[in-house]
Amino acid sequence: MYIEPIQKNIVLPLEKGLNALFTQRYNPFYYHGALPNLFLWVLFLTGLLLLVYYQPTLATAYPSMKFITYEAPFGNAMRSLHRYAADGMMIFVLIHLCRVWFTDRFREYRIIPWLSGIVLLIALFVVGLTGYMLIWDQDAVALTNMTLSGIQSLPFVGPAMASFLMGTWISGESIITNYTVTSILVFHLGLPLLMMFLLWWHYLRITRPVTDPPLALMFMLLGGLFLTAGLSPVILGDQAPSDLNVVSGKLDFDLLFTFPQYLVTALGWDVAVAWLFVLGIPVLLLALPYLQKKAMRGQYAHVVFENCTGCSLCYNDCPYEAITMVAREKNDGTRFKRMAMVDPGRCANCGLCVGACAFKAIDIPRCESPDVLQEIERSLSASL
Amino acid sequence: MVANEIKLIGIVCERSVDLTDRLDENGCLKEDATVKIIQVPCSGLIQPIMMETALKNGAQGCFATGCRMGDCHYRDGNRFLQHRLEGTRMPKLKPSVDKERVEAYWLSALEYEKLKHLIDEFRSTTDKLGLPEKKMANASAS
Ligand code: HEM
Ligand code: SF4
Ligand code: SF4
Repeated sequence: MYIEPIQKNIVLPLEKGLNALFTQRYNPFYYHGALPNLFLWVLFLTGLLLLVYYQPTLATAYPSMKFITYEAPFGNAMRSLHRYAADGMMIFVLIHLCRVWFTDRFREYRIIPWLSGIVLLIALFVVGLTGYMLIWDQDAVALTNMTLSGIQSLPFVGPAMASFLMGTWISGESIITNYTVTSILVFHLGLPLLMMFLLWWHYLRITRPVTDPPLALMFMLLGGLFLTAGLSPVILGDQAPSDLNVVSGKLDFDLLFTFPQYLVTALGWDVAVAWLFVLGIPVLLLALPYLQKKAMRGQYAHVVFENCTGCSLCYNDCPYEAITMVAREKNDGTRFKRMAMVDPGRCANCGLCVGACAFKAIDIPRCESPDVLQEIERSLSASL
Repeated sequence: MVANEIKLIGIVCERSVDLTDRLDENGCLKEDATVKIIQVPCSGLIQPIMMETALKNGAQGCFATGCRMGDCHYRDGNRFLQHRLEGTRMPKLKPSVDKERVEAYWLSALEYEKLKHLIDEFRSTTDKLGLPEKKMANASAS
C-alpha cells in the first residue's frame, strides 16, 4: 500500500547512496539492529562509572554531579559519552524502526520482534527521561516537576503513578523528597535490566540475530561519539533553590527524550493534548501490523513425509525458528529416525529451507522446486 | 539454429533487481532474448542443483541474483547461497562444475542497468568458453 512507494523512492535510493559511500559490507542501514546494541554497551559501561560517584539524595545529588562534571578524573568524558550514546541509541533505534517498517519487515511472522520493539522503545524513552532528571540542576528539577504534574493530570491512574514516582508511598509526603531522587534512579537503573529481558523476547523468533556491527563501522561510530563528546562536553546548570516545588528553569530540551515537555512549554500545547499525542505513538505502532492486508494468506512450507531424512539442514538455516526436528514413529515406512516439522505461525514462506534441502523434502507453495527445475529443462530443450 | 536460442539462465530473486516490464512472453529478457529468467521469492531458495541442471541441459552459463549482502528480506538467503556456491555450506555446488559458468550478483531492486552490464560481461566470458559438452554432442549428432 503506502509502504512500497516509500521503499522504492526513499529507502532504496538512500541505501544505494550509502552503498556507494560505505560499500555494502559497511552500510550502516544493513546493521540497523546491531547499532542500537553498540550504544547500549557504551551506556552500560559509562553508566557504571557514573554510578560510582552519583549520590541519589536531595542534598548530595547536585554536588555529586558537580564533582563528576568538573573534578572527577574523566568524569566529564564519561558523562558526555553517556549523554551522546543515549541520543545515538535513540536515533539508531528510530532508524531501525523506520527501516523494518518501510521495508515491510514488521508484521505477520515478525510480530514478536515488532511488539517487543515497541515495549523496548517505551523503556528506552523512560530511561532517557529519568536520566535528564537525575542531573538535578535547576533545569532537571524543573523537568521533574513538570513531568510529575503531567503524570498527576492523567485521569484515574495519574495521582497513584505520580505518588509512586515521587516516593510518596514511602515518605508519606506529596512533595519532592530524598525518595524522589532514589525512585528516579531506580527507574533509570531498573528499566535497562528489563530491557535485557525484552531483548531476549525481541530475538526469540530470530535465528542468529546480527547484534554486532563489523569492527570498522563500530570504530567509526565510536570515533564520532568520542569526537562529539570532546567537541561539545556537557555542562551543569545552576543549583536549584531550596523550595524545589516552585522551581522554573530555562529548559534546554532534548527532543528525543523530553519532547512532551517541549510541546507543552515551548509550543504551548495543552497537557491533555500532549498526552494524547505521546500515547498515540505506541498505539499507532501497535496498530500498524493490523492495518494492512496479509501478504501471505496462510501459506507455509510443507515437508514431504517420505523424503525427509532428518538431516537438520533446513532446521539450521530457517531464519525465523519455524522448523523443529521431531522423532518419527517407529515403522513409519521410512528408514529415517527424525523429520522436520514446520510451525505455520512462524513460517515466513521464504524458501530458505528449500535451498538448504538436498533431498527434495521441503517446499513452499508459491515456488515449488520441481517446477523451477522443470522450467529450466523445458526452456533449454525448446531452444535446442 | 532457432532465433531465440537460450544461452544463459538467470535465477532471479524477485526482491532484488526489478524486472517488471523487462521480460517477454517466454520469460526472456526483452533486451536479450538469449537470457531466460526464472523468478524465485528469495535467493535463499535457490538450490545448487538448479544451477547444475541448467548447465547439464545445455545452458552456456547460469547466474543467480539476490539482494545486496546485508539486505536479504529473509535475513540470510543471499549469504547462504553465496556460501553454497563457494562450497562452504551444505548443500554445496558440485566441485566438478565449471566455476566460470556460474555467477551470482547481489543487487537491489533499482540496479537493472548494472545487472544488464554484468550479464553482458558474463555472456562474453561464457561465449569464449564455448558450448557446454551436451550441446556440442547434440550439435555434432544432428
Ligand atoms: C533497544 C532497541 C533495539 C535493539 C537493540 C534492537 C535490535 C534488533 C536486532 C539485533 C534485530 C535482528 C536483526 C537481524 O539480525 O536481522 C532486530 C530485529 C527487529 N527489530 Fe529490533 N531492536 C530494538 C528496537 C526495536 C524497535 C523499537 C522496533 C520497532 C518497534 C524493532 C523492531 C524489530 C523488528 C520488526 C525486527 C525483525 C526484522 C527482521 O526480521 O528482518 N526493534 N532488532
Ligand atoms: S526437509 Fe530436507 S533439509 Fe530438512 S531435515 Fe528433511 S531432508 Fe533435511
Ligand atoms: S519457508 Fe522454510 S526457512 Fe522460511 S520461515 Fe518457513 S520453514 Fe523457515
